[in-house]
Amino acid sequence: MITIISDDSRGDWGSLLEDALLPTGRQLVRFSANSLDIKPCTGCSSCSGKTYGRCVMKDDMHLVVQKIAGCQALVMLSPVVFGGVSHHIKKVMDRIAVLGDPRYRMKDGELVKGMRVPGLRYYMIGVGNKLSEAEQKAFLALHTENRKIMDVKGQAFILDSSMDKSGLEQVAKEISHE
Amino acid sequence: MNRSETMLLCASPRRKGTSAMLLERVRAITGGEVVFLPQKGSLDDLVLAMQKAETIVMSGPCYINTYPARLIELLETAAQVGGFSGQKLYGIINGGMPYMHTHQHGLSCLQLFAQQNNLSWMGGFVLGGGAMLDGQPLEKHMNHRKVVPAFDQFIRHIAQGTASTDSLYEQAQPAPGKFVTRIFANLLTFMVVKKLKNHGYDPDAPFIYTQEHN
Ligand SMILES: Cc1cc2nc3c(=O)[nH]c(=O)nc-3n(C[C@H](O)[C@H](O)[C@H](O)COP(=O)(O)O)c2cc1C
Repeated sequence: MITIISDDSRGDWGSLLEDALLPTGRQLVRFSANSLDIKPCTGCSSCSGKTYGRCVMKDDMHLVVQKIAGCQALVMLSPVVFGGVSHHIKKVMDRIAVLGDPRYRMKDGELVKGMRVPGLRYYMIGVGNKLSEAEQKAFLALHTENRKIMDVKGQAFILDSSMDKSGLEQVAKEISHE
Repeated sequence: MNRSETMLLCASPRRKGTSAMLLERVRAITGGEVVFLPQKGSLDDLVLAMQKAETIVMSGPCYINTYPARLIELLETAAQVGGFSGQKLYGIINGGMPYMHTHQHGLSCLQLFAQQNNLSWMGGFVLGGGAMLDGQPLEKHMNHRKVVPAFDQFIRHIAQGTASTDSLYEQAQPAPGKFVTRIFANLLTFMVVKKLKNHGYDPDAPFIYTQEHN
């Protein structure tokens, strides 16, 4: 299953991606992060201790976590905001810590953590209009760091909002073929 | 707040955490008052305060390799409201991992925000090993001999209104070697596993999402 979290507050890229992925026959679920009630993480660290694997906050995030826990590919689709993701997407990202393995491991000589979702692949799609090199570089770097700390595989893509939608079809192929 | 003041903004939801401790250390030299980013409600008043300040220092934790969502929301709101005119912006980001690259995105994000919204980016400070400190004074940092003078130099930059370069925090915090990393991995994992077992959890159990989670 592929879980898509999209910020649709500035365009219909989420449903376009869904359309592009449908012909691949993969099971899909999509959440519009901007229409969900998701509170910001309070950093209470209960999810890695007292209530291991469970967030104490009561909001829509439990629906999202439930789907991510059972998926093979997680896709974050966001407008590129200051070289990162929008706050709607970031809220979800921060709360995904509940799915993290709090133990430490070593990879390429560095400390990393991991995810409790075996084999999860992690994708980020950034959409923007004539993004500068610095914005693109920062967005790709964020994905690289996310991948490292979560110890997962995956790719990041940047799409120009003024381009035709064929770029999205290419991205859909990459996500579904891996 | 009149235009000459320094705004010290803490972007951590934890009021007694490492972000707040670092900001308090800045405040002791620059004066001004530490403002905590409200975790709910409108951010408009905070944007007004940003517009009125001459210097803004943002200090926050690293959540999944950059600042938390609520700070991004503040930056988005500030960009929408606009009206900035060269306010000096400094950033501080602290995270658990001892690597600068893990947290660097936070500063890149602030720099892009500043460039796109007519503020002056003056540089930032990345602090690794911030989780272990958990709000204790910087003197308790595992690498305090180098980190304390480097951070105090950063504060002097803020006080004097001069730009700070990445090399200041990078040179003070070289990445630990493989041997030390392995010791850290084992020690930290031992502590995590002990904590989980104390709470009655098996750390090796697969993640099963049950109704109990709702
Ligand atoms: C949701 C969440 C995500 C985090 N992600 C990271 C991370 O990606 N890298 C890291 O080194 N530390 C990470 N941490 C640890 C915090 O950055 C660290 O505990 C920091 O010192 C907290 O600062 P504070 O005391 O000011 O809140 C994360 C913590 C939380 C709660």
